[in-house]
Amino acid sequence: MGADVSDLSLVRRVQRGDKGAFDALVLKYQHKLVKLVMRYVRNPAEAEDIAQEAFIKAYRALPQFRGDSAFYTWLYRIAINTAKNAVVSRDRSPVEYDLDRSNTDESYDMQGRMKDSETPEGLVLTDEIRSTVNAAIDALPEDLRTAIVLRELEGLSYEEIAAAMACPVGTVRSRIFRAREAIDRRLREVFEGGLGRTEELG
Amino acid sequence: MNEELDSQLSAMFDNELPAEECELLARRLSRDPDLKARWGRYAVIGAVIRAERDITLDGTVAGRVSAALSSEPELRPEGARPAARPLPFHWWQPIVGGGLAAGVAAVSILWLRAHALPGGSPPAMPAMVASSGPEAVVPALRPALRNAALAPDSFVVPPAPQQQQQPMMGVPATELADYVVAHSAFSWPVTRGSLLSALMVSEPGTSSTHARSDQPAPGVHGNAIQNPK
Repeated sequence: MGADVSDLSLVRRVQRGDKGAFDALVLKYQHKLVKLVMRYVRNPAEAEDIAQEAFIKAYRALPQFRGDSAFYTWLYRIAINTAKNAVVSRDRSPVEYDLDRSNTDESYDMQGRMKDSETPEGLVLTDEIRSTVNAAIDALPEDLRTAIVLRELEGLSYEEIAAAMACPVGTVRSRIFRAREAIDRRLREVFEGGLGRTEELG
Repeated sequence: MNEELDSQLSAMFDNELPAEECELLARRLSRDPDLKARWGRYAVIGAVIRAERDITLDGTVAGRVSAALSSEPELRPEGARPAARPLPFHWWQPIVGGGLAAGVAAVSILWLRAHALPGGSPPAMPAMVASSGPEAVVPALRPALRNAALAPDSFVVPPAPQQQQQPMMGVPATELADYVVAHSAFSWPVTRGSLLSALMVSEPGTSSTHARSDQPAPGVHGNAIQNPK
């Protein structure tokens, strides 16, 4: 199986003018990208801003993406460069800021405002999501839990998981799907409780 | 929701779905909000399993990116460029084009005639290259070319080819006329008319002014025509 085949099919759709396919790519990689950017910036809100900028840059550069590397590898490089540039400009900005405004309290307030995107609502939802998913995973049968953890935590392919669990690849695919379905059934209740924002997409 | 579809979605999320199935599912995924929401929750499940602690999982980034891109134009394939702007029109373009077409047609006719007519002159190309005046362009139409006053100082006539004695390579007058008409679609009407007139006049039997002889003209010695000057 091609390592990047599904990403590539979505990328090709975006390149042909289907913006909805890009939503799917963003949904898939937003958490990884924010996590990646947080190696450069400590502030989660700032990391989200940089991740957002990286996605927009990626969208605009997508016509030049040939598929020579995996989409995530390409996106990863864009995010790293965006984060580095953000760090450089942030390191410069206090000096420029001080030239115009000597009041350092204002500078402090500005940084405080950047955290506003981390709303209490979002934080509550995040906690709720975590506890729901963790509880659902704990409730999974052993074979399903092992399959989904090997896939998501260790990043193994279906073939590698099949070798590790001594079962056919088709069984691995089925176990992972059933694990996801069991977790998703509970997770959907949380998102449909009025806080889920991913439902707004599309 | 269809269980098989969800199973495919799960495999696609892991990049484990065959390419042909991916194509179909990607299309549906990009249009179906429910499927997209499920896809997003699969990503959330992965993030929680990987214990990505410091990030929010409420889809903030995806929502903001989607909003930001809503005002962006849709992408175009790299090869699909906007139609090229037409070049500006100049009044002299049809004249130049017509002149070129007429010139090519004239050269073609003369070359064909030189090859086609029995006892005709040998290929005229070398002679035309050697000369530069208008008389060089239409030597077959102008017997006076052999006149010393009009002829170039010196030019070489290629040895008489065997094909002069061969059966005609055969371009009858009507075909020649058709040829000119067919190739004069882009030529200037005046030029086209001149060519046709010249063609008709030059046909054996159509004009008594055209003299054709295998005898060398005065001043011809061997294969060279010398200007008597």
